[in-house]
Amino acid sequence: MPEVEKSEEKSRLIKAYTAVILSRTLDRKIVTSQRQGRVGFYTPTMGQETLQIGASMALEAKDLIYGYYRDVPFMLHRGVPMENIINQIMGNRDDSALGRQMPSHYSDKKRNFMSVQSPVAAHLPVAVGAAYAQKYRKTGAVVIATFGEGSTSTPDFHAAMNMAAVFNLPLVFLCENNGWAISLPVEKQTIAEIWTKAAAYGMRGLRVNGNDMLETYEVVKEAVKRAREGKGPTLIDAISFRMGPHSTSDDPTKYRTETVDEGSDRDPVVVTEKLLKAKGFIDDKLVESIKTKAQKIVDEKFEECAKIPAPDPKTAFEGVYAETTWMLEEEVRDIL
Amino acid sequence: MTEMNMVQAINGTLDMAMAKDSSIILLGEDIGVDGGVFRVTDGLQKKYGAERVIDTPLVELGIVGMAIGMALSGLKPIPEIQFQDFIFTAMDQIINQAAKIRYRSGGEYTVPMVLRTPYGGGIRGGIYHSQSGEAYFAHTAGLTVVTPSNPSDAKGLLLSSIDYGDPVIFLEPKKLYRSMKMEVKEGDYRVPLRKAAVVREGDEVTAITYGSMVPLVKSTFEKNNVNGDIIDLRTILPMDIEAIVHSVEKTGRVVIVHEAPRTAGMGAEISAAITERALESLLAPILRVTGPDSPFPYRLEEYYMPNENRIMKAVNKLMEYR
Ligand SMILES: Cc1ncc(C[n+]2csc(CCOP(=O)(O)OP(=O)(O)O)c2C)c(N)n1
Repeated sequence: MPEVEKSEEKSRLIKAYTAVILSRTLDRKIVTSQRQGRVGFYTPTMGQETLQIGASMALEAKDLIYGYYRDVPFMLHRGVPMENIINQIMGNRDDSALGRQMPSHYSDKKRNFMSVQSPVAAHLPVAVGAAYAQKYRKTGAVVIATFGEGSTSTPDFHAAMNMAAVFNLPLVFLCENNGWAISLPVEKQTIAEIWTKAAAYGMRGLRVNGNDMLETYEVVKEAVKRAREGKGPTLIDAISFRMGPHSTSDDPTKYRTETVDEGSDRDPVVVTEKLLKAKGFIDDKLVESIKTKAQKIVDEKFEECAKIPAPDPKTAFEGVYAETTWMLEEEVRDIL
Repeated sequence: MTEMNMVQAINGTLDMAMAKDSSIILLGEDIGVDGGVFRVTDGLQKKYGAERVIDTPLVELGIVGMAIGMALSGLKPIPEIQFQDFIFTAMDQIINQAAKIRYRSGGEYTVPMVLRTPYGGGIRGGIYHSQSGEAYFAHTAGLTVVTPSNPSDAKGLLLSSIDYGDPVIFLEPKKLYRSMKMEVKEGDYRVPLRKAAVVREGDEVTAITYGSMVPLVKSTFEKNNVNGDIIDLRTILPMDIEAIVHSVEKTGRVVIVHEAPRTAGMGAEISAAITERALESLLAPILRVTGPDSPFPYRLEEYYMPNENRIMKAVNKLMEYR
């Protein structure tokens, strides 16, 4: 590999690794803060960092992400400011959605990260429409839609898969297969492997080890390239493991014995460190300094965001339409 | 008699009914091994097995459709939809199948199904874990819409629903799941469907409400010494029009309280039904205290939910009419 390319690869991978560590550090901070009563609710992302960041590396700024509630690493790597994420979780005045949504329901139009909603997979048919618009408007942008493997049981998923294939759209379906949908293991969710579902729609289906950031990057990059070239959609089944609970309200000891501990061989952070060390891109010293810096950033940002007050009560009743209704005006007068 | 909350009451009732009737099957997301995200079905799969307490794939449309098919073939399914907010992909099954099968088959086929689902705000669930969708169901002939306001009623209403013979949408106010405890009688007892309860009596005003709002209206009336009837509908569709008219003829003043948005909500239907039957008794316009016509917010939830202050404003306004 020529020197320039090598140094480019190095800086790209160190940036990605830094995002992995930032995500993990932020994840821990929010979970701890939730236990302390400083955050209402949260869906941890631990275990899914490298698959998301590998995918994010494969995208251009103009590409669109139709993501879901576990995509913090994706967003951080894409350049969404950490305070936007924390402000959303706190639902404070500086949250772009003014605290209207439950924590973990992010939105960042500037980085083409579509507002997240709760009913799983409902964003997938919508992503089809967004992809159609890219094709029609010849923007050259690709849409990537993320979702858990549980979401593949829904009618929304199947409608979206079929339509994306029928219209040969620039769309990548990235299934974040963490093995669990709350308490249901993937083997009870579906008999077939997720990637094989693509065949029924005449679509390409691939499986990738999501804990391997580089493998994920290569596979997503190729799928994105094909989509951009007009060669149609791909379903990618990215295998990972949900290391934490489903959410801060969930108790996984009720339903599973298998665990993946932080620092173990199946922890994507560990996998990534090994990978980058083997390439000679990082050493213990750099790892240590990236981690220390991440902790400092996370602690500082969190405390800054925690000081921001709740949104003005009237904002709860704004933004329903471009122009409000007489009914709502009347009701708000009674409430405030 | 044991003191229990609504989660325990419903859990115990399901247990009791399943022990007696092997045709009862529970199905839903995370209801088995996990015992339900609100723990309503905790322990039941252990006791009755995975064939009777089914952890389904994540597909509401499939859960409801499958339950309807079970009901058509001699079983008594009790599907759970994890949050009422996620029921909408199953609305085709509910509205076009469950609600119409008796009618379209000339009574040859019926759907004895009780669809349980938690609804409403008060747990900081934001836009998609707080909605009160009773009016969507109440607009559908063939459905029966029931909502308990306390643990004891939850048991009696659930037992009546299981034996009812037609599809019941059983809306559980999740705000009340654990926030109140009361004595619940042991053994089999029924709270009749289609019958309202007068949960407080008085002469000057009638409050009509149901589900999650009943405890709020009660405490508001008690604290402020309001001399009025409080009607807990218990069954939203078909509602107990006799109980309503009877009270309105006595008081002449009506306030309707629900959490769901005002426009095209149950309050509108109740209000129309009253004016059609008891206009001469009315001393004041019928007032509604409801959620506003906007989505349900997360951080500012308390501004959305009806509260004591808003109920009293309405009551005081009613009392100004003489
Ligand atoms: C339509 C719908 N039904 C139920 C739920 C409740 N729920 C939230 S997350 C979840 C499991 C989702 O699993 P999966 O798609 O695998 O994503 P993961 O949470 O594992 O990342 C369920 C059942 C929901 N949000 N939407």
